[in-house]
Amino acid sequence: MKTFCSLIVFFGIAGAGYGQALDLKRLDRLADKASDTADVTLDGSLLKMAVKFLSASDPDEAKVKKLVEGLKGIYVKTFEFEKEGEYADSDLAEIRNQLRTPEWSRIVGIHSRKDKEIAEIYIKVGGPGPGGLAIIAADPKELTVVNIVGKIDLDQLSDLGGELGVPKLDLEKTDKPKPPKNKEDE
Amino acid sequence: MSYLEDDLKMALRRAEPSEDFTERVLARLHAPARKRNLWEEFTVLFFPPRLQWVALRVVASIAIPFAALQYHKEQKLRAEGAMAKQQLVFAMRVAGSKLHHVQRKVLEMTQTENRL
Repeated sequence: MKTFCSLIVFFGIAGAGYGQALDLKRLDRLADKASDTADVTLDGSLLKMAVKFLSASDPDEAKVKKLVEGLKGIYVKTFEFEKEGEYADSDLAEIRNQLRTPEWSRIVGIHSRKDKEIAEIYIKVGGPGPGGLAIIAADPKELTVVNIVGKIDLDQLSDLGGELGVPKLDLEKTDKPKPPKNKEDE
Repeated sequence: MSYLEDDLKMALRRAEPSEDFTERVLARLHAPARKRNLWEEFTVLFFPPRLQWVALRVVASIAIPFAALQYHKEQKLRAEGAMAKQQLVFAMRVAGSKLHHVQRKVLEMTQTENRL
């Protein structure tokens, strides 16, 4: 547990080299069941264009700009469901299978039986490719998978998520239940 | 001889100019050109010679659609860029919030462990 924590705190920059994005197509079928869906695919020229449109004078956008410069791709899929059990473990298993290669390392894995919550963070540090980050976050009514291709500073990214300055969209949940004291690490 | 030929001969008969014709022509040649007033200068713009009209129309028929196309392209590019930017900010926020959430949980678990 402490090792995981230390890794998160001290592992500043994830990845180096060249790599490909994860195949998240299997998750697309969940869109029919979801009440809210967000699907972001930014790669190549589209990502470069998005970076160009970020203002350097706006402090929040400048932070994002600094963070994403040099990234090769950003893929996010978020599904929110009205009721529990709309997605299966097999949906996540396929993504995990892609992350079971030697170049990917899982630095955090939280499986809470009480809340039925899953949180896994993987980084790509070896092999060919620009490195990368993968996050799988799931609770009974929400599933989020993030895949970032390229070097990214985890501390800066985490800071971004903890700030309110970045424009907030409706799809992002805020009213998370208080984390229970009794968590079980996988 | 028909009446028609007579009429033609009559119409085309040589007629001498008046005596002061040469003087009048020369006087007019040497007379200073009348200066157009502002209104006349302005109205000339609306009644250009035929050739200028044609040239103007040709240029306009090329330039206006080209400019419209460029404008449309620029607008499309801007809209795509704004959309991409919004998606990027959203994606980074989702990624950041999930990472932040996990970090917080890990820290809480560590603190709980330490307390135990």
